Amino acid sequence: MRTAPAIALGVLVALGLPPAAVGQQGDAAAGKGVYERKCALCHGDQGDGQGPGAERLVPRPRDFTSGLFKVRTSANQTPSDRDLFDVITNGMPGTSMPGWSTLPEKDRWSLVAYVKTFAPERFKEPAKKLELPKEVGSSADSIERGREMFEAIECNKCHGTEGRGDGPSRPELKDEWGFPIAPANLTRRWTFRGGKSRTDIATRLAAGVLGTPMPAFLDSVEKPEDIWHLTNYIVSLGPEEPRTVSLVTVGAVSDDIPVDPDAELWKTQRPQDIVLAGQVIIEPRNFNLAIDLVTLRAVHNGRDIAFHLTWDDPTESKAEPDKKVFADVIALQFPPGSAPGEARPYFLMGDANDPVYLLRWEQGKGAAEVTAHGPDTLTPIAGSEVAAKAVYSHGQYRLVLKRALVAKDTARASFAPGVFTPVAFQAWDGGAGEAGAKMSLTTWYPLTLEEPRSNRRFVVPPLVAVLTFAAMVLIIRSANRRHHL
Amino acid sequence: MRNALGVFSVVALLASAVTLIGTDSATAQGGGTIEAEVKYNGPPVVETLKINKDTQQCGTDAKIEKVAVGANKGLANTVVSVPTAKGQAPAKKTVIDQKGCAFVPHVVVMTPGQIDIKNSDGILHNIHTYSSANPSINKAQPKFKKVMTEKFEKPEVVKVTCDVHSWMLGWIAIVPTPYHGVTDANGTTKIENVPAGKHTVEVWHETLGKQTKEVEVKPGQTAKVSFEVKKK
Repeated sequence: MRTAPAIALGVLVALGLPPAAVGQQGDAAAGKGVYERKCALCHGDQGDGQGPGAERLVPRPRDFTSGLFKVRTSANQTPSDRDLFDVITNGMPGTSMPGWSTLPEKDRWSLVAYVKTFAPERFKEPAKKLELPKEVGSSADSIERGREMFEAIECNKCHGTEGRGDGPSRPELKDEWGFPIAPANLTRRWTFRGGKSRTDIATRLAAGVLGTPMPAFLDSVEKPEDIWHLTNYIVSLGPEEPRTVSLVTVGAVSDDIPVDPDAELWKTQRPQDIVLAGQVIIEPRNFNLAIDLVTLRAVHNGRDIAFHLTWDDPTESKAEPDKKVFADVIALQFPPGSAPGEARPYFLMGDANDPVYLLRWEQGKGAAEVTAHGPDTLTPIAGSEVAAKAVYSHGQYRLVLKRALVAKDTARASFAPGVFTPVAFQAWDGGAGEAGAKMSLTTWYPLTLEEPRSNRRFVVPPLVAVLTFAAMVLIIRSANRRHHL
Repeated sequence: MRNALGVFSVVALLASAVTLIGTDSATAQGGGTIEAEVKYNGPPVVETLKINKDTQQCGTDAKIEKVAVGANKGLANTVVSVPTAKGQAPAKKTVIDQKGCAFVPHVVVMTPGQIDIKNSDGILHNIHTYSSANPSINKAQPKFKKVMTEKFEKPEVVKVTCDVHSWMLGWIAIVPTPYHGVTDANGTTKIENVPAGKHTVEVWHETLGKQTKEVEVKPGQTAKVSFEVKKK
């Protein structure tokens, strides 16, 4: 009898299957030790999601005693062991849950076994594999059908018309523990909790996300394959990954630069995604930042420079001091002057000795040039010459800030090709209570301007060609003459 | 010709109605009736909420009746059941509707089995249940999905919500007996054909809790039982 498992193992090894396929019997007792070292800080000793670190986390750590798990590939409520293993291994994008692929695989299986002991009742019924409808590949037709279905089943109620998580039901949403919960921003697949592959997305759509308002749609679409059309549509809403850069480039154009953020020119410019982090150095700290990505497009034409900024914010908020509502704000930060030295000002909006120059835009007030000696010491520069236009639609801001390339004084930054100018970014979501030092920001990035395009490129190369040809003719002629002599 | 057809269908309808009534009263032999009355000593608790979406279907104000008190201090929406009386579950399926962005009725009672969940609003709702004995449900019910059938196999009270319209709240009480009712606006309900004998009558209200009383049911007679529920 004892040889049977050994034979089975032998067969599997012979088939070339990885040991993981069979090694799913984790040891709960061994898992307890790992859990207490690695997981309890957030998920709590009792598995109730109330560890000492839980307070600061949004979303909150999972309460394992509920036996409800967000990410599962099963048709019933019980997740498979593999589902739990995958979440432990890959983490949950967009949350505080990191991937634990650094732990030995055996430990991760043991964790699976241990986590299940917090809700033994919930695991009595084995996981039933969810059968997805037959896969439909992506195509223009499929995406169009997905868009129709997106409207018919009213995904917009929570996720918004353009999928940015800004739907009308957004402020009311709570998870099953009563904590506010934000609908996914469907244009940012890399933050999807259960993964961004097409199968992941189709599975979430079909089975829903347990413990959250996201319902199951498997039986609630017109035709089963609509699950795949919806998936293809969602995938079409945004890039797979942020298009991050380490060097910010300002492209060169020859025409006038439009201030309208929806002008054609901006559609032809390369999007540069800038990742922002919460400000956690000084009080008030921002552990759960609202704006973690700003997309920049930038051009100059030898006279003017313009920055086109796009960022998602589910609410458009102006300052209403009596209601304790703050304004949405964004700022580009530069060292003042034209020839930045070795030492740059403190990236956190400068300090008492070394100020920074800000191109700052505030909802309700518009754009301004500002000198900052730290987050709470802002002084507008008199005679601001920055032109700006902002558009807010369906959970997204688009803004153009335009200014002369060369500033009229050294309180402002000046720009020139061939010089690396430091730039940093700051953003505030007033609707999420961000103001003052409670912001999201970056450290300094280098910014470079492309050489201006001039008409010389149409003149100089042909001229060189003509002169070369003339010289050749002359040489040949003189050589011929010598030959005849 | 048309008239004849009309007359025929009326007759057919009547006949089927009579058969239905007939089968219903067939179970009445030997049973009695319980007339339950639930009174509440306090003011009604009604909250209103401004609505800013789907106003065509939902209106502009949501009325959340936490304690609905009618004439004569009658407490509405109270589940009355006779757990000690066993019998065949009725063939008729329980129905709860989503109408005007509210669960109608606000409280339903059923024996373990199936329930039809209707969406008369023609907009997206999602059935999100909170339960412990039965698996919880969170299924979308878009406008084209007029009816969904769900199963509750174990007795308990299940809370039903909709995340799209967070003010929507309903209750499905699953009781282990076909002898049950929900009090009307006057706080009364009649449970018919209860087998004769001594029984326990149980009442449950969403915010005011549970109470029980003993009652004796005699064949062909009506036993009255009265509850007084106190403010919590």
